[in-house]
Amino acid sequence: MRKFTALGILTGILSIPAFAQNKIEFKEFDLDNGLHVIMHQDQSTPIVVTSVLYHVGSKNENPERTGFAHFFEHLMFEGSENIERGQYMNIIQGRGGTLNAYTSNDITYYYESLPSNELELALYMESERMLHSKVDETGVETQREVVKEERRQRYENQPYGTILPETLKRAYSKHPYQWAPIGSMEHLNAASIEEFQQFYKDFYVPNNATLTIAGDIDYKQTEDWVRKYFSEIPMGKKDIYRPNVNEPKKTEEIRDVIYDNIQIPAVIQAYNLPPKTDEDSYALSMLSTYLTGGASSLMTKELVDKQQKALVVAAIPLELEDGGIFIMYSIANMGVEPKDLESEIDKLILQVQEEGLSDQDFTKLKNIMENNIVSSNSSMAGIAENLAEAHAIYGDANYINKVMDAYSKVTKEDIQRVAKEYLDLKGRVVLYYLPKAQQPAQ
Amino acid sequence: MKKIAISFVLSFMIAVVSFAQLDRSQFPKSGPAPEIKIGEAETFTLDNGLKVFVVKNDKLPRVAFTLVLERDPLLEGDKAGLTGFVGEMMTGGTTSRTKDQLDEEVDFIGGSLSAGSTSIFASSLKKHQTKILELMADVLYNPVFPQEELDKLKKQSITALATSKDDPGAISSRLVNAMVYGKDHPYGEVTTEETINNITVEDIKKYYETFFKPNIAYLAIVGDMDKAEAEKVVNEFFAKWEPGDVPKFTYKTPERLEENVVGLVDRSSSVQTNINIVQPVELKIGDENYISSRLVNQILGGGSSSRLFMNLREDKGYTYGAYSSISSDKLIGEISANAAVRTEVTDSAVVQFIYELDRLVKSGVTEEELEKAKSNLAGSFGRSLESPSTIANFALNTERYNLPKDYYATYLQKMNSYTVEDINKAAADLIQPDKMYITAVGNGSEIKDKLTQFGEVRMYDNMGDPAKEIEMADASMTAEKVLENYISAIGGDEAVSQIKAAKLVMAADVMGNPVQIAMTFDDANMRFGQKTMVMGNVMQSSTMVNGKGSISAQGQTIEMTDEQYEEAKMNAFFIPELHYAAMGYATQLDGVKDVEGTPAYKVIISNPSGAKVINYYSVESGLKIKNENEKAGDTFYSDYQEKNGVLVPMSWTMKSPMLPVPLEAKIETLEINPTLTEADF
Repeated sequence: MRKFTALGILTGILSIPAFAQNKIEFKEFDLDNGLHVIMHQDQSTPIVVTSVLYHVGSKNENPERTGFAHFFEHLMFEGSENIERGQYMNIIQGRGGTLNAYTSNDITYYYESLPSNELELALYMESERMLHSKVDETGVETQREVVKEERRQRYENQPYGTILPETLKRAYSKHPYQWAPIGSMEHLNAASIEEFQQFYKDFYVPNNATLTIAGDIDYKQTEDWVRKYFSEIPMGKKDIYRPNVNEPKKTEEIRDVIYDNIQIPAVIQAYNLPPKTDEDSYALSMLSTYLTGGASSLMTKELVDKQQKALVVAAIPLELEDGGIFIMYSIANMGVEPKDLESEIDKLILQVQEEGLSDQDFTKLKNIMENNIVSSNSSMAGIAENLAEAHAIYGDANYINKVMDAYSKVTKEDIQRVAKEYLDLKGRVVLYYLPKAQQPAQ
Repeated sequence: MKKIAISFVLSFMIAVVSFAQLDRSQFPKSGPAPEIKIGEAETFTLDNGLKVFVVKNDKLPRVAFTLVLERDPLLEGDKAGLTGFVGEMMTGGTTSRTKDQLDEEVDFIGGSLSAGSTSIFASSLKKHQTKILELMADVLYNPVFPQEELDKLKKQSITALATSKDDPGAISSRLVNAMVYGKDHPYGEVTTEETINNITVEDIKKYYETFFKPNIAYLAIVGDMDKAEAEKVVNEFFAKWEPGDVPKFTYKTPERLEENVVGLVDRSSSVQTNINIVQPVELKIGDENYISSRLVNQILGGGSSSRLFMNLREDKGYTYGAYSSISSDKLIGEISANAAVRTEVTDSAVVQFIYELDRLVKSGVTEEELEKAKSNLAGSFGRSLESPSTIANFALNTERYNLPKDYYATYLQKMNSYTVEDINKAAADLIQPDKMYITAVGNGSEIKDKLTQFGEVRMYDNMGDPAKEIEMADASMTAEKVLENYISAIGGDEAVSQIKAAKLVMAADVMGNPVQIAMTFDDANMRFGQKTMVMGNVMQSSTMVNGKGSISAQGQTIEMTDEQYEEAKMNAFFIPELHYAAMGYATQLDGVKDVEGTPAYKVIISNPSGAKVINYYSVESGLKIKNENEKAGDTFYSDYQEKNGVLVPMSWTMKSPMLPVPLEAKIETLEINPTLTEADF
């Protein structure tokens, strides 16, 4: 609910799409109303994770009503016709469970983890949410206040908190990725209750959802309960709105200064990425690890340890369905000018573009990636999320078993090639974050 | 016939409808509680005494090795802080690898390796297990403990200690430890600059040679490895580890109080009070009351639906969160109820804490609360089993605490068997609400008097030592006299009044970067200028001339409001004491306080609009040793040297929330009564 949102994604993206060398087995079926169901049985621990991925994120919003998808993530905990207001969390926790949710530019994801004998409850709760969640004035009013607090805490009151919205705004001129999931408070204030109800009818429908159950389950019993609680939910009546916009390639650099409540300047660079499902995504992800993953990575060693020009430097590929951004951010050390830091970063990017990386570094990189991929599939919650995403974004739940293959095909030359192709110094966004005290008087 | 047919059809239809109609108003009931199958750890012991636990889990092709030493807690005495350095010293380099080489080799296989004073942890993918074991064994057998590594760690640690002296959370924990355990107990002793500086490479070596012995060690192997393979690799890498005698230590068990006592650290800049109400408790895993203590705590303050949270936050709004904990430990555990509350409600919050402790012990818990607590704890117990390291921990605890073999297998069964009466009895056995250490870190002058209602108030300093109870030997002392004494201490009226202006440059170091601070004072004409420079660039400057002030950073300027100007003025004289009376400032003497070991008169100076600065003047020397300012932080003055017949502090240590570490500035150049022009400001 409040745990992750846009900013959560920015940091959360550091974890790599899940994978296990050991094959993940699963079963799938569809209901007549279009709900896609994935089940993964693992009886080693008597717990069960139940999740619903709604294929709606901030990119599906009306440009005049940004923030809706994330707002719904809050609204969906208000209760339903049968669940009293504010009780959703208490019911799950009272049966020994935990729960959470997050919203990205592409999806909204809800999950709960419970003792395995509470699976029926979990399915009931999620079906109530999908069938007739409370979308009324009271809920909207309450959650507006909560979202305002969240906004304050995560963006306005958080040093460097606006990096993602400010970067997106400049990285996209046409595509709805130009606004962040947190959206606009003015839009939310202006929206009528009918608009909220319409959004629910449009997107919170079984044919736009993936239900995933992972854990200590019986396949037959699980399927029976899924049919019992979800079959009666009516299918959505219209086509789901999905933007079909091509973001034009940048031909020049976009440069700006943001004054924030900070003490130390930061330098942000952003490069547009291919769609998440593009083959080059793997090489780009490895490139980011080569640049800033761990104490012995290229930029950390050079800029943080040796030159001591940066306190921290990080390269994060924010992968999105229609093409995300590769964000590099770096916080300057005491007394270091942002432009000095930026030029050192650029030097290292040019170095990779021109010289590539050594065999030794490439082997090390492959080993680190392999360890990360293997380790990222160690929990039921992780497996459920990755299965759901594999189906909804990659169109095939079995993608979960193909990730390592995809990474192992990447060559040393690919990494150099994607560095040249995508990290184009002439078509990027560069932002300086400077202390407000340095802002010229208006 | 027709009628019958119709009614038959009707009833059939109704049946169909009611069959399809799901009653959604009823929540699904819980299924039969699942059997919690807790994986067994396999064990074996090497001839040298190393006990090994193997928890095979081949879901993922990786394996982790955790080596743990089981020794008695240590009293480190004048070398307190020693054990905190052991781990990083061990990974600081070996006879065949420098620290950089170790890091590179660990990174190269995507593995991890770390150590502490009683542990070494290593993990990697299965296929790299030989390499990671080789590195782990190298760290275990061949550490070289480089002097430069120790120097670096000491420096970091002293920096962290300096920050912690001002951190209310850290102060609170030192206060609790000092009061409950005393400084002659391993849990009560305090690390200081002095004890850190006492630590040598030899001490670390000696610690390593004494305690890193297989006969007090457990090795837990979790992951893709079975017992047969574990026996093979453990023999290969750990059989040559030589056993040795390891000393044992016993300590006096801390006793409970006869009646409630209040411990207070006066942190005058606090706007919140950190309250921690504590009692020692003899409780370890496997004790009769252990599992019930989990339930008691869950109901009292374990989470956001527990009593303390509901009362102090949801109902009263005193705090962002109030919680409790009951810790278990081989030596001695601790019951704690805590929150950070607004200064004004400090006493009201303590009343509610004691009310809740009292109510729990006297009136007990309800059936509903108990059921909720059971579900909650059972749920998290179940979820914890997803991680195979939990199983290894269970095996380790079973061994360390000599638990019945089925202790964890029947854990939930035992927990579910507790009745309301059982829990009420356990609460009464564990907690004595009238024998508590009530500790508070906050603004003493606001809260001290209000705390006397809960018991004798004992004052402590920020390092957990009893605050030097300083009586004003001279009861006739006044603020005016303190200021007069100060003037005579620095050279007397005549010499001091000759000083009309001063110009100085100070040098300091912030995280490796040289910083220069230049200040110009023109006391006679009330002009002031200040510049902070890093590597020759002016980062920030401020100017006060002609009754106006401004602050600039990199060429951009912000004007001060009148109120800000008046407040800034209070610290804008070279010798401000000469001007208090003329400015119409009120001065008030607030007793004698301990300033880092020196008794000092505390004088509060207020301007007519209520802004305050606080100065401390040494009782003995009369010199000003500290200035406290809500906006700018604290400045400590030392190293007074004579200039133009007047003593001037040449060393200024500044502490402020804006600074990552205390800034130690030394005056490098000082001109008294220079010729000043407009350009100087």
